[in-house]
Amino acid sequence: MSGTYDVVIIGGGMSGMMAAIALTDMGRKIAVVSRGDPVCCLSTGCIDVLANGNDPLEGIGSLPDNHPYHLVGKDAVKASLEMFKAVMSEEGGAYVGDAHANRRILTPLGRHKVTCLVPGTMEFADFHSDEYIHVISFNKMKDFYPNYITSNYKNAGCSIFDAGISTTIGIAERFENRQFLEGFISWLKGLDIPEGRIAIPAVLGMHFAVDVCNEISVELGRNVFEIPTLPPSMPGLRLFGALKNALLKRGVDLYWGKEIYSVEKSGSQIEAVTLAGAGRSARVQGNAFILATGSFVSGGLHASMDTARETVFDLPVYLPGKRKSWFNDDFFAPGHAIEKSGICVDQSFRPVDTEIDNLFVCGSILAFSEVMKYSCGHGIAIATGVAAANVCGEPV
Amino acid sequence: MIKTDVIIIGGGSTGCGIARDLALRDIPHCLIEKGDFAAGATGACHGLLHSGGRYAVNDPEAAAECISENMILRKIGVKCVEQTGGLFVRLPGDSKRFRDMFLKSCEETGISTEVLSPSRALDLVPNLNPSLEEAIKVPDCSIDPFRLCMLNIISSQKRGGEILTHNRVIDIIREHGRCVGVKVQEESTSEVREIRGRIIINAAGAWGDKIASLAGSGVPMTLSKGSIIITNHRLTNMVINRLRPSSDGDIIVPNEAVCLAGTTSITVNDPDESEVDPAEVDVIATQAQLMLPDFGNTRLIRTYAGVRPLLKADGGDDREISRGFRIIDHENGMLSIMGGKLTTYRLMAEKISDRVVEILGLKTRCRTAELPLEGQEELSGYPLSKRLKTLENIVCECELVTADDVERVAMEIGTRRIGDIQHRTRLGMGPCQGGFCTYRALGIMQETGKMTPEESMQVLREFLQRRFRGIKPALWGDQLREEQLVESIYLGILGMEQEQ
Repeated sequence: MSGTYDVVIIGGGMSGMMAAIALTDMGRKIAVVSRGDPVCCLSTGCIDVLANGNDPLEGIGSLPDNHPYHLVGKDAVKASLEMFKAVMSEEGGAYVGDAHANRRILTPLGRHKVTCLVPGTMEFADFHSDEYIHVISFNKMKDFYPNYITSNYKNAGCSIFDAGISTTIGIAERFENRQFLEGFISWLKGLDIPEGRIAIPAVLGMHFAVDVCNEISVELGRNVFEIPTLPPSMPGLRLFGALKNALLKRGVDLYWGKEIYSVEKSGSQIEAVTLAGAGRSARVQGNAFILATGSFVSGGLHASMDTARETVFDLPVYLPGKRKSWFNDDFFAPGHAIEKSGICVDQSFRPVDTEIDNLFVCGSILAFSEVMKYSCGHGIAIATGVAAANVCGEPV
Repeated sequence: MIKTDVIIIGGGSTGCGIARDLALRDIPHCLIEKGDFAAGATGACHGLLHSGGRYAVNDPEAAAECISENMILRKIGVKCVEQTGGLFVRLPGDSKRFRDMFLKSCEETGISTEVLSPSRALDLVPNLNPSLEEAIKVPDCSIDPFRLCMLNIISSQKRGGEILTHNRVIDIIREHGRCVGVKVQEESTSEVREIRGRIIINAAGAWGDKIASLAGSGVPMTLSKGSIIITNHRLTNMVINRLRPSSDGDIIVPNEAVCLAGTTSITVNDPDESEVDPAEVDVIATQAQLMLPDFGNTRLIRTYAGVRPLLKADGGDDREISRGFRIIDHENGMLSIMGGKLTTYRLMAEKISDRVVEILGLKTRCRTAELPLEGQEELSGYPLSKRLKTLENIVCECELVTADDVERVAMEIGTRRIGDIQHRTRLGMGPCQGGFCTYRALGIMQETGKMTPEESMQVLREFLQRRFRGIKPALWGDQLREEQLVESIYLGILGMEQEQ
């Protein structure tokens, strides 16, 4: 498989996929190249935009000047989030939330996590601590221990359902089965749960959990919500599945599971990348390229003892000094300096200090995005993915 | 109050070895350890059962002790010693003169050697630097120090030995100038107890001087910090030493599925000073890579440091200090045992137990070299087939530890400490370093009622801090990817935050 495209996007994570959607909506012919399934599969599926303050969009103003949100601007961030919500609704995985308001979701440790847009299954995950909450767990499920939650609330109860399997994905698969779901609902009805909310770890189906969650709510006459779990995380997998489906519907060519082993350049232009495949190698040619390979965790950056490199084009990488200064002593202190690492870009998302002019960079590989410190991972991916697409899809 | 004959302070290899020796001579004793077994230098060493080769040139006496103990331990401890054999590798530029001295000294001390051509050496260890000049084969082994301590303790417990872990000696009771007992404090309950005995043995290793000072004495020691790094692969099946005078980064030891590479030698003042400096990691990793080039492409999953309790020497390099040991009679009812090595722990225990027998006026003889370590038949070891049987309930995917294993150990030893579980099951010892399984193990422990959810949150928090401290000095490459994932799990998904 080989091809020629208006834009070749490297990286199949949140920012790459959102860039692809934005570009196909502009009528461009797009390819997405990815080494494998992205790290959003490991996430809660929630869209963290910016954790400080009640209004994440207003909070952007207080970020340091070099933060990539400033390249996008408040209004465009908001528009990109609206676009994301529209795509997810089309795909049957509607998200709820307002870009101007942070909300909280319940975590498996009974803590609260601040986020912004959430899957429909977590609509009711923010509640007052004096309200009764009934936690459902599954027999021998190794990533969920309801005592952490019930011990945190004076008004809480817990029941355990035996799904006949103990893995997160295994249970989620069972919820795709009509009979299983009905059996679960009638078990729930038999519990005589007091008035209040029902919390279930995020296993309510592989794809259409919003529907499953709604059905349980209607049948029980209670607010039901999901609690995200450790990877494999169903809300993350569902998010990825829905976006990938949206790309396929739009005719995007996906080159999945393939590593780039060479880059062809001519003067200031990147012309093509060659991919190593299981069988024949593929040459993917493009007029423009978007780099959306993510930070260290996704493999977009790779660190050695005291240096770091960008793994596809060998672009210059900003690094905050030597290794000794990369990390805080406190694991819990937000924002290790290493998080500042990445690619510095100009106003048009082109990397600085290179002669290449048909390459655009987006997502968490951008220098100074500091996604853990500001809790803005998916937000930065969506906003800069769409913004980079808008610049690179403009008619010349 | 507990009454006994001999009080042993310290649950490292020496203390545990003394407990076994006394038990086999039917002498009542009580061992006190402030943490878990092997919590000091024993557990923080590289797990090498020395052939003695490393000391042959400079310290022939210690070398001779090593080889003779090596031969005993491989016989009595088949389940905690892996007979890997070792190579001393001479790389281009390494002194030929030292090599000649090495061979001569080994011959004089009784360490068997075999000179191997580069191609023969590469047959044995294909990952070796192919440009090596030659290698000398010696009878080094790999040893599991934690398991060694546990097995020694079994003999003691079988014969009524009193074992108090997580109890700190806070005072030594003296009457008419003689030590007659100790006061200990339990770590979590803070309960203070008194233990009376006829003889007190100070086997506290690097903490030995602190213990002696409680009795108004002191022991002359030099404390030397050594750091070690762990890879996530077993790059060699043999111990690899550099054939040159002792220096930083001259040893790689295979252990279970990983390799340990070390060490450094930095004089410190405090036995608790065990922070690894990134610069030490760089030196070890760079040197190890010269012997095994693949070392440079391998993930480093953890670093740690231990403090060697060496006999005091005046000035000079810590490496020049003899690895021999010494028994000090404080002539007030307390004996201190100082220096030595993990490899010679049994001999140290034998010598001091002989002294005890003499003081008590008994005539029993040491049997620790003849009898195999007890309890080995019950060790599961690491057979994959056994672990795969219960695949369904695996909580630690890296080391294949099941929920049942965690539950059983938690009940068995009545522990509330995650470290105790880790030492006994290898939970959290793999590439993710407990990133996933610790949360699960704590979940299981609180479900079995061993601890409250609040306690388990606190333990989790402390564990993550300690884990990060060990990982941070060697954090780059793929381990950095793993670390960003673990960070996103605990801070992002689970919502743990900095304590206010």
